[in-house]
Amino acid sequence: MATERPEGLSGQTGPYARFVRWMENLTETQFAYFLLTPALLLLGVVAFWPLLSTFRLSLFADNITGVGAVGEFVAFENYLAILSGERNALMPAPFLPETLTVGALFESALTVTLIFTVASVIFETLIGFGQALVLDQDFRGRRWVRVAIIIPWAIPIVVQGMIFYLFFAPDIGIFTGNSALSLQSLGLISGSPLQTPQDSALIVIVADIWKTTAFMALLILAGLQSVNRDLYDVAEVAGASPWQRFKLITLPVVLPTVLVAMLFRTIQAMRVYGIIEATNVGCNTLPSLSCLVVTSFFGGTRLVGTAATVAFLTAAIIGLVVTVYIVFYAREDVE
Amino acid sequence: MTDDRDSNGRQTDSNERQTESEATDQTSGTTDRTSETTDCTSETTDRAFRTDGMGAGTDAELKRGVLQRWIDSTISDPQKAYRAMFYVATLFFVVTTMFPFYWMLVVAVTEGSSYALVPSLTAVDVGSFREVFVRIEFARYMFNSLFLATVTTVLVLVLASLAGYVFGRLEFPGRRPLMLLILAISYFPPAAFFLPLFQLFTGNVFPWVELYNTPGALILPFSSLFMPLSIFILTTFYGQIPDGLEDAARVEGTTRLGALFRVIVPLSAPGVATAGVLTFIAVYNEFFFSFLMTDGGASDWAPIVGGLIQLQRAGQFEVTYSVMAAGSIIAVLPVTLLVVIAQEKIVSGLTSGALKE
Repeated sequence: MATERPEGLSGQTGPYARFVRWMENLTETQFAYFLLTPALLLLGVVAFWPLLSTFRLSLFADNITGVGAVGEFVAFENYLAILSGERNALMPAPFLPETLTVGALFESALTVTLIFTVASVIFETLIGFGQALVLDQDFRGRRWVRVAIIIPWAIPIVVQGMIFYLFFAPDIGIFTGNSALSLQSLGLISGSPLQTPQDSALIVIVADIWKTTAFMALLILAGLQSVNRDLYDVAEVAGASPWQRFKLITLPVVLPTVLVAMLFRTIQAMRVYGIIEATNVGCNTLPSLSCLVVTSFFGGTRLVGTAATVAFLTAAIIGLVVTVYIVFYAREDVE
Repeated sequence: MTDDRDSNGRQTDSNERQTESEATDQTSGTTDRTSETTDCTSETTDRAFRTDGMGAGTDAELKRGVLQRWIDSTISDPQKAYRAMFYVATLFFVVTTMFPFYWMLVVAVTEGSSYALVPSLTAVDVGSFREVFVRIEFARYMFNSLFLATVTTVLVLVLASLAGYVFGRLEFPGRRPLMLLILAISYFPPAAFFLPLFQLFTGNVFPWVELYNTPGALILPFSSLFMPLSIFILTTFYGQIPDGLEDAARVEGTTRLGALFRVIVPLSAPGVATAGVLTFIAVYNEFFFSFLMTDGGASDWAPIVGGLIQLQRAGQFEVTYSVMAAGSIIAVLPVTLLVVIAQEKIVSGLTSGALKE
């Protein structure tokens, strides 16, 4: 079929005509792979190679004083040293908390990341649900309310960080010092919230909720709009209260969407890095997992192997969380 | 009392409007709509009755407080409570999302460091918006950001169009595994790509590859990180074009690629626009690579991240909060404009992209 097509070109020579003729003569599979080549080439060099290379680096010892990036091959020793806490003395922050005090929880990468993720995803889901219910109504100005809700999602992380930096910067912040809205005079946050782990965690969580709730809201809204409206009419006739209508009609339909949205947000929240730097909290005050990768790599002691190991442990933990969601989702589906 | 009347008035108002529009619909003769209209009318009569009742009970009302009266009328009409809740919630969401921007504006136009929640108009000083261009090479940073976002978007759209065409319209062995492989990329955190790329771009892998502090060091990671979403959006859109249209073009003598770019892509323009808008916003907003893949100078091709962080970190020596706020406001303008113009695209792209995957 393809061979008879470019008759107009059959008489022509030259590189373009030859190229076209060559392309027309490819089978469908060949043509598919031909078109995929540029994308796969790019992904290969900038995504797959770095991933594999990071994994390879994680199997080598740190080379703190030598010339090369990493020392000798040590297999999974890095993973063991990091998980057992042996490496803590060298690392900018421990991976797992050393003790189970509140202070230690806010100083170790894994627990900081988990606290951030759980808190922000839960609040984003709840607030996002609220926003979606509002946007699901028909009212004048709906379009502009939606714009207002989406804008925070669309702004650069660095601006998001700047906003919350200006909120909480000493002396000038609206929530610090002698301001009318000061949380400090209420005793809720310490004197320098951006340098205190607990307070800065709170700030970063609120900043994340402010920015990304819109994502949650839009996904849940899509779920809400797939609910068959007739069901509400039937329920109303049958005398169901609005709460019953919500619980028995809306929720079951929307729940799978909510789970998918939560899964996406969780994957993103577990990689938190930008907002910590952009609020000027810094990775030393609040070491998330991504932070730990960067600070191990760029820190005073060059820990390339350790950094790579933390990067892969991060990916593995995200994988674990994804699996939990998928199991949960599958169970919901079966029911 | 004022409150009460207000919400009541608005209710009736909207109700009337609704009835009107429903009535017009009815004349067009849809049986479906007729039942709705009846519904609506009965509601209106309901409400009319209620208002009458309230008028009769003025004596009793006088003896009770505003709140009590409101609660009373709410009990007899739960709809009203929901409506009130709805307005409160809407107001709450709009205020909480918009207040930070308002506060930035206050910081930007206030001289000194004592901010009023509502600054007096005489004290407003917009000098910081000029100052930001003097303190740092702000114009260059903005150019860098827009340039990087545009080039990445174009690159992603071209490559993702080819891939989306393949996944959406061709059947070939290895289709599903390849799609899953590409999907897997968006699952890994940027930190898992970063170390080797940093070494590669700083010339530690091949001495002749030194992209650090050039646009390439940012465009390459951006494209590969944000391409999967575009591929999935375009796969959906391209897959929906009927085969007949492509066949017709092919019979006319177009080449295979010609059919893609002259038939499929134009017909899927909304999908291409969606993928483009989402990629542009994602790149413009990215932090991780933007922050780490350059030294942060304007001439290092650092995007706006570099400029704002530089202002923030210099704060120890010269505090320039108003300039930081002014810079942030200018940096937000392009994406805000994009959201206002293309909000439908963003909504559909986010939901289809996320839910299909």
